This record gives sequence, structure tokens and C-alpha cells, in this order.
Amino acid sequence: MPREIITIQVGQCGNQIGMEFWKQLCVEHGIGPDGLLEDFATQGGDRKDVFFYQADDQHYIPRALLMDLEPRVINQIQNGEYRNLYNHENIFLSDHGGGAGNNWASGYHQGEQVVDDIMDMVDREADGSDSLEGFVLCHSIAGGTGSGMGSYLLETLNDRYSKKLVQTYSVFPNQMETSDVVVQPYNSLLTLKRLTLNADCVVVLDNTALNRIAVERLHLANPTFKETNSLVSTVMSASTTTLRYPGYMNNDLVGLLASLIPTPRCHFLMTGYTPLTVERQVNVIRKTTVLDVMRRLLQTKNIMVSSYARTKEASQAKYISILNIIQGEVDPTQVHESLQRIRERKLVNFIEWGPASIQVALSRKSPYVQTTHRVSGLMLANHTSIRHLFSRCLGQYEKLRKKQAFLDNYRKFPMFADNDLSEFDESREIIESLVDEYKACESPDYIKWGMENSEKALTSEGSLAGSLDSKLTL
Amino acid sequence: MELNLASPKWNVERPFLTGRFHQETKIPNATSGPRPFSLESLSRGSENVIGSYPVSVQELLIIDDLLSALVGIEGRYISIKRVRGKEGRVIFQIDPSMDLALQELIQRLFPLCEAYVLVSWFVETKSHFGSGLVNHALAAAMRALLLDYQAMVAQLEHQFRLGRLSVQGLWFFCQPMMAALHALSIVIEKASSGNLFGSATLNLLQSQAKAMAGDTTVRALLEKMTRSASSPYLSILERWVYEGIIDDPHGEFFIAENKSLQKESLTIDYDAKYWQQRYSLKDDIPSFLRSAAGMILTTGKYLNVMRECGHNVQVPPSENSKLTSFGSDHHYLECVKIAYDFASCELLNIVKEKYGLIGKLRSMKRYFLLDQGDFLVHFMDIAMEELVKRPEDISVEKLQSLLDLALRSTAAAADPCHEELTCCVERVSLLRKLSTLKDLGSSFHAPPSKTALDIGDLPELVNINGIETFSLSYKVQWPLSLVISRKALTKYQLIFQLLFRCKHVERQLCVAWQVHQGFRSCNILGTTILRSSNLCRSMLKFINSLLHYLTFEVLEPNWHLMHDRLQTVKSIDEVIQLHDCFLQKCLKECLLLLPQLVKKVEKLKSICLQYAASIQLLVPSIYIPDVVDAADSYTFRLGKSKERRPNGRSRALKSAEENPIFSDSIMKFENDFNVELQSLRPILSSGSQTEPYLTRLVQCILGVGSDQ
Repeated sequence: MPREIITIQVGQCGNQIGMEFWKQLCVEHGIGPDGLLEDFATQGGDRKDVFFYQADDQHYIPRALLMDLEPRVINQIQNGEYRNLYNHENIFLSDHGGGAGNNWASGYHQGEQVVDDIMDMVDREADGSDSLEGFVLCHSIAGGTGSGMGSYLLETLNDRYSKKLVQTYSVFPNQMETSDVVVQPYNSLLTLKRLTLNADCVVVLDNTALNRIAVERLHLANPTFKETNSLVSTVMSASTTTLRYPGYMNNDLVGLLASLIPTPRCHFLMTGYTPLTVERQVNVIRKTTVLDVMRRLLQTKNIMVSSYARTKEASQAKYISILNIIQGEVDPTQVHESLQRIRERKLVNFIEWGPASIQVALSRKSPYVQTTHRVSGLMLANHTSIRHLFSRCLGQYEKLRKKQAFLDNYRKFPMFADNDLSEFDESREIIESLVDEYKACESPDYIKWGMENSEKALTSEGSLAGSLDSKLTL
Repeated sequence: MELNLASPKWNVERPFLTGRFHQETKIPNATSGPRPFSLESLSRGSENVIGSYPVSVQELLIIDDLLSALVGIEGRYISIKRVRGKEGRVIFQIDPSMDLALQELIQRLFPLCEAYVLVSWFVETKSHFGSGLVNHALAAAMRALLLDYQAMVAQLEHQFRLGRLSVQGLWFFCQPMMAALHALSIVIEKASSGNLFGSATLNLLQSQAKAMAGDTTVRALLEKMTRSASSPYLSILERWVYEGIIDDPHGEFFIAENKSLQKESLTIDYDAKYWQQRYSLKDDIPSFLRSAAGMILTTGKYLNVMRECGHNVQVPPSENSKLTSFGSDHHYLECVKIAYDFASCELLNIVKEKYGLIGKLRSMKRYFLLDQGDFLVHFMDIAMEELVKRPEDISVEKLQSLLDLALRSTAAAADPCHEELTCCVERVSLLRKLSTLKDLGSSFHAPPSKTALDIGDLPELVNINGIETFSLSYKVQWPLSLVISRKALTKYQLIFQLLFRCKHVERQLCVAWQVHQGFRSCNILGTTILRSSNLCRSMLKFINSLLHYLTFEVLEPNWHLMHDRLQTVKSIDEVIQLHDCFLQKCLKECLLLLPQLVKKVEKLKSICLQYAASIQLLVPSIYIPDVVDAADSYTFRLGKSKERRPNGRSRALKSAEENPIFSDSIMKFENDFNVELQSLRPILSSGSQTEPYLTRLVQCILGVGSDQ
């Protein structure tokens, strides 16, 4: 069972989207709520073993770790339809069940306290796989558990499994409405630091945009969390189709990510998906061609991140890389034509400092899921406008920090003890440099940014390189 | 043929016991011994010269003689002379003393006598067993005619005895036979001068019948002859098109079988000619079958394939499927058509349904064209250690077991054909292999002197490893080996090797990418690391675009096209042709037939590999202090989480900046890569005028307008 991926879902939000994700995977692979393969699921060709393993009695168990500091959501899962799917040893609930009180520092500290327990679970799951490819973390960055404990997990995983990939699906808070979590900017900032330093790839899921999409695209007046979460699970399952339904390319996570992420820090991805539907909605059947799908994916209204850019800045924003995963019955010649059309129309604004183009991965659709549209597509994009999202996080943090509001809650925990708020400052510094780096990406001379001394190296390169060559070709 | 059979001596000396002429032709110089029928009988002077009788008596005498002459017997006043050099030809001569008017009349009858002699000579000689079935049949038909003729002569004689026959009467009664025998003698003349045999005889008869189209009776006669002569031929044909068996003892049939070509050669021999040459058309095809010859050949071939598969298939007989004649109604052509349709349909069915052709092709696509590449990812994971060895040191058995493992544990397990897959390690790399395969239609051989030098230049033998020579193989069973022959398999292997190399480069670059990911914690703006990671990205982009081009722009569309067309094919030949066409097109569009480009791309790949290897070696060696730091901090941080790493990192980074080896080598790689990549552009754009697919490749790997 090669190239397995372990999913870790932390906190209320993480567990909710995780639950939806597993539900979706089960449907796509024809696995029943009890983990047994449905009778109709006889068509092979899919890879269940990336995300599942088989127990002795043949039923499929997700490679999932469920962690929370309060029991509500996990209890819900344990009493839900899919209660028998999960391995109960893989569920971690803190003993006191009090949660983290929306406090990052509390979540982080509690993570530290129980590190042995949770790393035991991770190690056990990792040992159970042949060649682990990496971890996927589902969490939100605003609350206490997902952000704080998630952050701690990220750091720990990064240290213990430095050779493995860590990908996160991070839900960013809805910034259009006033949140019940007042310290949300603090939590976001501190989590963002870990996402920047300790994750290989972060798929940004912006609740603001998810809400907007639910309202505008799906015509739901007041979208519930369940509905936005189903959008998230759609994106999550679509972004893993090339791993689960292998094709010519992108059959491993590292290949998928390496082509999208140019430099170590610029690893924040936006997503877009079309056509979108929710379960209970009567589907509007429309014609879907590859070109339609690709075109719609490039429209900002379909992108699940709101970047809050001012128009002037938005026009400067550029795509660093795009991967379109097209699912369904696709005539491969259409792909070429569509790409050409998009190129001719100059629909995409790419960076100038390196080669860039839309990459396309074609993937099969699950034979067990009936859809009314023939083609659907997911876009994973690395776009510089994401920096505005971070800038906004920084701005909100600055506002709060200036007032010195709510800092007492943090001072209670070791990291901020003795009024040591350097962690905040450091985080801010790192996010600022991240914003700067994305900004630099918009400039054509990004590579030579601050590289004055390199010119001199270029001139003397001939003689030096010659002498080095023998050394390099080992 | 005669020599092969042990026959008594007298059989050779006197091959004919009937008809004296043959004896004479065989032993022309047998002057000694009893000569009951002498040709030089003009000297028989015991009789009175005919001229001494009155004309009315002369007439009676000569009619008596003539009646003998009509069946080829010399008379008192009519003598026979053999024509030297022409077998079967004789000349009748008449006593010159006879009344001139009578002579004139009699001589008009001589062509008939001569024709009779000729025909009976022909009938006798061609009845000989070596003459072939067609000639036998023709001779038999002629013999029947001769019987009629003899009956006529007997009738005439009867009339003569009754005293009712005059020379004029004789002349009148002989008219119809005269025309018939004359026509036959022309045929015989031609047939014996060309020593015609089998289908050539049939052709002659047919053309002669056509030539005599104006004369209905003669035409009817010749057509009758043709019909009789062709009936054994048609029964050979019948067995061939209905059963796929050649029953042709005299080698008259127009299809030849070459038994030395074995079907097993298809899976072994790259240049196997089994399908093309096991059965082939000869030069002389009966003209009435010429239009259908190809169809007839394939019909039998198909039936044969089915027989070889152990299916005893026969074209179901129906009441009018008997190939009786090839008259102008073209009934025989219809029969052939029906048989052909049945055979091709049946064979196609067997190949498709019983032997699962489409499924096999699909699994070829999966394994060789990496349609579902996940097994390869796993295989490379577990087999890399073995593959990096030199080809001689690689244990194929080990690779095979690893391959089996990889197949069993990935999506390929669901494919029933996965056990047919084997792996092999060749001794030469892709480039070299391409240059040795002569008939791919590549330009590898265009200027022989130059390319030979080029190939020789490649220093591949020194550091060649398993990655470059690893290939898959596939066990193909008999009827399918018609389609997936050794040659087709070789082409699949070439494409596989190309893809495999690309995948390997991609993997190595991914490892390099992961090395860069370790620098998340430092601000790398303006450092060599940034430069390096951008180079890594460019290389990844290049190799991904190349793979994208190869798979989504070449393999997949072409496969789709073939797959769609395979749904509507009518015969296995079409399948073979479509499949060959597909492979050839893929090879061509995968650049494998353009040595200049292959070399460039290989060069680029090797730069990528070198880069990836250096990154994996250099970066950890430069940042050793940091690694130690990281290891420390983990144990540390559990207690005191405030231990911050970035300081350590940036210190290390600074030291990297000062490390000239690293930055210079990155510069060099960057330069090499860009130069090489840009040098592709002119080649591709010059080539794209003739080969449109190169335009797509340019768009893929160089992007449009990025530099122009």
C-alpha cells in the first residue's frame, strides 16, 4: 500500500469538514457507512488504499485521526451514520473536555501537554503504512483548538517527520460579519506563522468566500455550516482525485505540490470548483465543456478565497501556477483547444520571472456518483493576491494589538508568560515577510531581488563552473 | 515430377500406350524395330496411282482414305508428315496425281484432320499425371468432344457405306466440327507453346473465349471447356475459402504457403513476416479471380488463424454456396464475399471476445503508456536501489518480484492481465536502441557517416545505469500476437522507456524540491536558494510540460482515435493496421524518430538529473549546522518551546551565501539549462513547418510569447 496519506482533523471545524470529506470519499469509492464495500462497487481502477486501509474483516478504515479538546462534534460523529467507519483508537478527546476557549495559547499549551498521547496515535498510524507520503491537516485558524493545537501539531510533525509532506486545509474566518470570537485576529496570526513555517502546502478555504459562493452561486439565503462544509469536502475530494483515480500524471502528492509551489514559502493555494451543487438542490443541467469549465474556474467569483484587493492592486496580481483537475468524460483534444483559447484571450495573467502555464490533469470520475454534468473541474492556483488576505489579517491584528485588548487570556500560558509577547511580534514579522515575498513575486525581477552580488558571479561563472563540474557530476 | 516416382523403364520409354504419334514424338529416332505405321509411306507403290482412275472412282477412293485421315490414320493416297520441332503438329499430303478439282476440295478438309491429331495429342499428353488438375480436366473435356467427333466420323462412314456420301457431303457435314476443332487447336497451340499450367491455362481459355465472342458456337464451346477446366480449380478454391486448407497437389493454386514461417516467431522475432508471408499470392492469378484475389487470400488466412487457435470453423454451407462455376453471373464472387465476411467477422469476434483484444490493448496502454501510472510510482519507490546499479549487476528476478509487488498493491491489481507483465533490463540505452532499429522510419540513419559518429560520441556506456535501460515486457498469446507482435511491443517499449526516464527525472526534481522546502523558516529573498528553487521550478515545469505533451497531447488523443475506430473495424487486418498506425504516430509525435530532438531532450534531462543530485548532496552538506540544530531543538523544545530556530537558520543561510561552490554551481546549472532549452526553440520552430505537432510541443514546453 504505497504513498499513503494520513488525515488529521483538529478542532470543531476540522472535524466537521473532515467528516464531510470522509463521507464524500466513501460515496465515491462505493464504501458504505460501516466501511464495507457496497455490492455495486465492483469496478476497479481506483486506489482506496491511499486514504483507507482494510481491517481483518475486510472493512475499510480511514487513515484519519480525530482530535478535539471538547466532545461535542466528535460525539456527533460517534453517534452519526458513519460511527462505525472510524477506528476508535484514533479518536482523541481531552480528559476534561473543556475545549480551548477560542484561545490559541490554550490550544497550543494543551497540545503540548498531551503530545505523547497524540504522537502515539500518529506514530501508530504511520507505522501501519508502507511508505507514508505525508499528512493532511484539517482545521480552522480562528478558533482555539484547530488553531492552537493544530499549530503545535504542525511543529511536532515537522520535526518528527521532516521527510514527509504536510498539507493543510485551513479554514479562514469570515471577515465580513462580526465574529463571536473576538480574539480571532490573534489566533489567525499565530496560526499563520506555523502554516508559513511548518507546512508544505496550505489550501486556503476562506469562509467569507465560501459564504459568498453559497449565496451567489447556489442561491442559498442563509448558508449553514453544513452547506459550506460540503463545498469544502467537494474541494478536498476533488483535489485528491489524481491520487485516488490514477492517471498519466500527478499520481503522488509530492508531484502535485511541487509543480504548484515555486519557492518554499509561497505555498498558499487558492481553489475554485465548478459546477457547484449542494445535495438537496435541484440541479440545473447545463452544458459543460472543458473550455466552459476552465473559463469558469478563472472567474474570481468561483474562487474560494476573497482577497479584498483594491482594484489597482488586483490588476497587478498574477498567477504563479495553476493546476486544473478536470474530471469526467473528456475528449483530450478539447483540453489542448481550450488551453489555446485561454491563451489567445489572455484570460490569465502569469508571473513574468519564470515559465508558467495552466497545467491540466485529467482524472476519471467516480462511477458510483451520478451527476448531471459531464465535466467538472477543480482549480488549484498559486496567486499573488492571496497576500491581501494576509495583509487584512495583519491589519486586524494591529488594531487589536494597539488596544492591547484581550492579551490577558494569552499571558496565562507559558509561551506568553511574564508579559513576553515576542511570539506575536515574531509572527507578525514572518507574515509581513510572507506578504513581501508574494509582492515580490509580482515583480519581473523577483529572482534577482536583492541579489546585487550575483551579477559579479555571473561574469566569472565560466572559469569557476568549469572547475566545479567534475565535482558535481558524481 | 516423373523422376520422383519410381516407375519402370518402359514407362519412360513409352509413356503412351494410346495413339501412335506420341510414341513417335517420344522416340523420334527409333528407326529400328517393327514400324507398323511408317510415315514415309509415300513409297508404297504397290497400288495404282489414283490419277489413273476416273474422277468418280477417285472420289470414292479418296473418301475412303479421308475417313481414315479424319481419325488420324494414313490412307493409301493421303500421307501424314510430322512437322519437325512442333510437337503434335502434322501435315497431311495428298497424292498429287489426283484430279485437281478433287484435290482442292480434299485439301480443305485437311485442317480438320490436322486439328484432330493435335487435339488428341494434347489430350494424351496432358492426361499425364504431372500436368496438373486443370490440364487434366481440360483434356477430359476435350476427350469427350473427340468422342463426339469420332461418332460423327463413324456416322459418315456409315453413310459412305450406304453410298450416300460425296466429298461435298463430307465437307458439309464436317463444317461444325471444323470450327470447333480449329478453335481448340488454336488454344492448344498457345497452351503447348507456353507449356501452360494451372491458372495460366484457365486464363488462356478465358481470353480465347472472349476473343471469339463473335462466333457463338465456338464461344459456347470454349466457355464449356473453361467451365470444365476450372472445376477442379474451383474445388481447391472452395476448400480454401470455406475451410482455410490448401489442397493443391500440383501447385496450381494462386496462393502459396510457406511452412517455414511459424506463428511463434511473432512473439520473438522483431522482423517476423508470418502474417505477411505465411500465405502469399503467386504471380499468375486466374483473371476471373484477380479482382477477388486479395479477399480470397485473407479469407483463408483468417480461417487458418482460427484453426490454429483450435476452433474448427467452417463457413456454414448453404444451398447455393457451392462454387460450381464462375459464369458471368459472378455467383462465385458472391460466395467468396460471403465466406470472407463470415471469416473476418468470426475471427474478429474470437480475437475481441474470447481473447479480449481491447482489454489487452488497454492494459498495454496502462503499463507501457502509463495510463494509470500509480504502479510505477510504487515500483520506483521500492526498486530504485536496484535500478541505479549497472545493467550487468541488476538482478532481473528481484526487479520482477518488486514489479509484481507493485502491481499487486496498486490499482493495477484489478486488471486481470497484470500477471502477463514482465520486466527486462537491456544493455543499451534508449538512444542507442533507437539507432539500431532500422525500419522505424526515423531519420537516425539519414546521413549514415555522421550519425554513426554522433552515436559513438555518446559516453553512455561508461555511466549507464538501470534507469536508462529498464523496460517492461508483455507475454502475448498466439492470436493476439498478430496485433501485438514483437515489433509492436518494441515500439511500446520505446515509448515506455521515454516516459520512464521522464518520470525518473520528475521524481528526482521532486526530491530536490523537498530539500528546498526546508528553507521555509528563512527569508530567502535575494539568496541563491531562491534562485535554485526557481531553477528547480523551471526544470519541473519543463519535465511536467513534456510529460503533459507526451501523454495528453500525443498518447491519449491518438489512443482515443484508435479506440473509436476499433469499434467499427471489419477485419483483423484493419485492426493490425490501425494499431500499427497508432504506434507509429505515437513514436513520431513522441519525437522518438527525430534524433536531433531526442538528444536535446535527453541532454536537458541529464542536466536536470545532475542538478537534482547536486542539490541533494550540496544542500545538506552546507547546512549541516542547521540539521544538528533542528535535531537539538526538537528534544529541547518539549521543555522550552521558546527556542527559536530562524536565527540558526539565517546564520546558516548567510554561510551558504558566502559559499561560492553552491552559488556558482547553481548559476552554472541555470545557465546550462536555459541555453539548452532555448536552443530547442529554433529546432522546433523550423521543424514545426512540416510537423504540426511540434508547434504544440513548443507551446507546452516553451510557452507562447514568453520570450518572443
